[in-house]
Amino acid sequence: MKRLYAIALLLASPFAAAGEFVDLRDAPAVGGDAAAGSAKVMVCVACHGPSGNAVVPAFPALAGQHAGYLYQSLAGFRRRADPASPMTAQVQTLSDQDLRDIAAYFAAQRRTAPIATATANAPGARLFRDGDPVRGIVPCQGCHGLDAQGHPQRMQAARYDYYPALAGQQSDYLVARLRHYRDSALADTSNARIMQGIAHNLDDTAIVDLAAWLATTPR
Amino acid sequence: MPALRYVRASLPLALLLVLPAATKADSGRGVDVAFDNALLQGRAAAGSSGDPRGTSWLRPGQRRSPAGLLYVCPLQPPSLADLAGWEYAAHLQLGWTGAFGDDGNALWNRYVRWDSGLVLGLLEVALRRPEDGSYASLRASRISSDNAFFDAAFGRAGSYKVQAFLRELPNGISDSARPIWSGIGSNVLTLLPELAPGASSSAEVAAVVAGASPQQLQVVRSKSGLGLDAWLTPRWIAHAKISEEQRSGARPFGGAFFYNFLFPGNAGVLETLRPVEDSTIALEAGLRYAGERWRADFAYDASFYRDRYRRLRFESPFALSPTRPGATSAPVYQGQFALEPDNDYHHVRAGLTRRLPWNGEFHVTAAAGRMSQDDGLIAPIDCSGTFGVDIDGSGVPSAANPLLHNCADWNTPAALSRDSADLRIDTYSFDSRLVLQPLPALQVRGGVRFHREDYRNAYLAYNPITGDYGYITENGAQASIQAGALGTWNPLTAASAITRVRSIPFDLQTQGANLGADWRLGERRSLGLQLDTQRDEPSNRERRRVDKDSLKLNYVDRSIDWLTLRANYTGFKQQGDRYVPNPYDFAYSSSLPGFVAPADGVPAFTVDALRKYDLADRREHKLDFSATIALADTANLSAGVRGDWNDYGAEIGRQAYDRSGVNLQWEWQPSPATQASVYVAADRARLVLANVADVEFGPDGSLGGPDYPDSARWWVFDKQRNRSAGIRIDHDFGRFRLDAGWNLVDARGITAYRFASPAALAYFADGLAGVREGRFPAMRYRVDSVNLGISLPLTPRFSLRVFDLFERGRVDDWHYLGLEAAQVIDHRVYSVGAPRGYAANLIGLLLDVRL
Repeated sequence: MKRLYAIALLLASPFAAAGEFVDLRDAPAVGGDAAAGSAKVMVCVACHGPSGNAVVPAFPALAGQHAGYLYQSLAGFRRRADPASPMTAQVQTLSDQDLRDIAAYFAAQRRTAPIATATANAPGARLFRDGDPVRGIVPCQGCHGLDAQGHPQRMQAARYDYYPALAGQQSDYLVARLRHYRDSALADTSNARIMQGIAHNLDDTAIVDLAAWLATTPR
Repeated sequence: MPALRYVRASLPLALLLVLPAATKADSGRGVDVAFDNALLQGRAAAGSSGDPRGTSWLRPGQRRSPAGLLYVCPLQPPSLADLAGWEYAAHLQLGWTGAFGDDGNALWNRYVRWDSGLVLGLLEVALRRPEDGSYASLRASRISSDNAFFDAAFGRAGSYKVQAFLRELPNGISDSARPIWSGIGSNVLTLLPELAPGASSSAEVAAVVAGASPQQLQVVRSKSGLGLDAWLTPRWIAHAKISEEQRSGARPFGGAFFYNFLFPGNAGVLETLRPVEDSTIALEAGLRYAGERWRADFAYDASFYRDRYRRLRFESPFALSPTRPGATSAPVYQGQFALEPDNDYHHVRAGLTRRLPWNGEFHVTAAAGRMSQDDGLIAPIDCSGTFGVDIDGSGVPSAANPLLHNCADWNTPAALSRDSADLRIDTYSFDSRLVLQPLPALQVRGGVRFHREDYRNAYLAYNPITGDYGYITENGAQASIQAGALGTWNPLTAASAITRVRSIPFDLQTQGANLGADWRLGERRSLGLQLDTQRDEPSNRERRRVDKDSLKLNYVDRSIDWLTLRANYTGFKQQGDRYVPNPYDFAYSSSLPGFVAPADGVPAFTVDALRKYDLADRREHKLDFSATIALADTANLSAGVRGDWNDYGAEIGRQAYDRSGVNLQWEWQPSPATQASVYVAADRARLVLANVADVEFGPDGSLGGPDYPDSARWWVFDKQRNRSAGIRIDHDFGRFRLDAGWNLVDARGITAYRFASPAALAYFADGLAGVREGRFPAMRYRVDSVNLGISLPLTPRFSLRVFDLFERGRVDDWHYLGLEAAQVIDHRVYSVGAPRGYAANLIGLLLDVRL
């Protein structure tokens, strides 16, 4: 529980709502310089692990994540400037180009594969693949891909680069993130608005099942 | 008007009565009434404007449906306020409207009643509690005393919903009624004091009509209801609904005292005004299940119609005189009509659906229903004393005065074969269908269906007092003019009379099957084919078997980004077994034992060549094409062409019915602040009828024979042309919003005729001087309207709407020709004058307050 509480601090709290709404429906490609980014991530890897392969469960893995999603996450921390979030201080001194470069750097890294223990019949796998009409849960694969590697059309349109890959992500981080979407009133991007509606019907069991399966699915 | 008071008083009562049923009820399927009115016309509150965020967070610029049509820009959601854990939004639109010009005109007030004065434009309240999904809402509007609605709901998402509504809608029928009776709106029409029943002259009646002030006629529909949806589990949903619709008012009706045009200065043809005072209670209840493999739907529907009155009584002002010289007619002046009987309807249905491999589905539905009526029957005639013709001057029916009849033998239910109708129709249906997708690009489907209607019981018109079969015609007027013509058959006194004596059970059994497929020819092209066959087996109709076969083809092409093309074709063929012109003999006196055929034989029921259009050999071809063109990102152009051609293969009867039409529409939404559209449409219809007059009542039914000679043939050619057009623009200037529109409806119909000779005409008083064809003056209905409105936000809470609606209507109907000069022509009395054109203007000022 303490671990989840710590993660919650990393996420924007409802009281940190500040700044404008960002519409990502027609967002362009991030276009950062991965090489330049490599020189700007020294602080990041302290928590998120070498090359963004976090080992501490409280911190999300960044390696191999899509640049659009990473950039928008970093920009969100800066935009909201939530004093309760430890990320606020880390991004305040970075320029927009820095954020793009950092995003490009981590997107180019390879996610160190976790132990692939995921099974197709796990409750989380079924929820991800089929959803649950009875509970009003839509299938996640529609936007995050059948293999949880990201939006199926991310190669066709830049806006889908802002949908994260979920496979191989830290389980605790996923749980905290989904609860945040479900319980928080804050949604300052168009993608967060989508997730707010989807997470509304996720109960704690569904969230834990999904996170457990995704964390053990190879990236 | 007492009738209106009755309705207004009963509405709240009706709602109270249905409230106890709320605990058992549901309306998961919503209510069946549109809660809108002429003032709102779908418009939002004055301060509402388009939401630039669009329709979806998933992708930008999602402005079109998959078929390429522009979505209407969604409105800004209301700003919600907090109230003890609830979020609420509410606004009130209150103001004044004024109607000027011909604002009393019936067409102007057709489905709306504009009054000058205060109006409640809209009261709208919405509450919701995010904590548990509870919600409540209220919408209400009132234009005038007979034009209002109220709709309220509360519930909890995924748990239950309760909805109650009340709606009152007027239907203006006439603004020029000049009835000669008092008691309009009731079921007893008593002649005005200036007129004496059965003893007034045509001039006296005309004077009363001329001196009467025109009255307005309308029927107000009031509907109230209550519904409940209950989610028993996420998979099981129960629903129930109860509603009551009451109608109250009066409308033009008939009043028969035999044919005045055949007997000038005699008989009577009266346009009475009948009451409309009835109530229909409708019930619906059901249970639905939605599982992963199975779905089920169990439902019960019922309705109970109750008429306040069983019959309409009216008095005739005219005396009757016999065609027999030296005799006198009995003083017959009291007429009656049976009004609609009370009736009950019950229907149960069970449906099951099973998911199958290959993305398939199998569905089966079984249903059964019962319609019944058992109203008390009214006596055949409503007279006192005697009716008929007095040939010996005694005024007493007797063997020596056999053409005069005692009313007492006919004016009580004892003169009927039974006291009540006791009639019933039972229905049974079975329907099943199978859908499979064996290939990604191919879906096939098929189904079979069965339907049966069984008439239970039949009525025999028999008077045990007199031994007569049949029914007294025209309130006894015919027997009082044509001596002995009661309209009944009697083995002793009228053994050769041919009259209807029995109700006809129209039992029907229908079975059908269909087979179809849809192919996806490419990424965005598809072709569909459906074959359908149906066999109808009606009882007591001209054909015992009717086969209907159809082929439907449809093609959709969206392979070009900016274009959606649709094409549909339907070919239909109807044919059957041998056509028997008279299957109804069993229902007539000619089938009764003791019937004596007339010396010249039993007259043919109708001409053998007649083919009734629902049973005729019919060929139909129907085509329609439509295209939707995306013009840039902000505009659409839609066009359609359609045609429907029917050949009935009938020498006598309906021969052809063809329709065609085109439409063109342009829509433009350059921004959330601006919407505009323009449309034009036109259609035509052509109906061809052929008929022949029976010049003799003989037994030969052949066309061209002595009874139906070619010289008596006639034809009607009916052509209808309709045009409509409209322009609408709505723009938000920031400081104010402007909406403006123009609409046109223009309908024109011409009925032309041709006949072989004057023998074709039933009534031929005027010399036609060799003319054998012609046409009636054009029927026309045209309405132009212009509307302009400005919505002006004053503060974040207050806004103002000012609007003007100008409408001009024109109507020409040759059926009313001459009635401007006189509504009483000999013994024919027309209570309602011709509909009139109008020019009227409505202005309004509405203040919108966010509460």
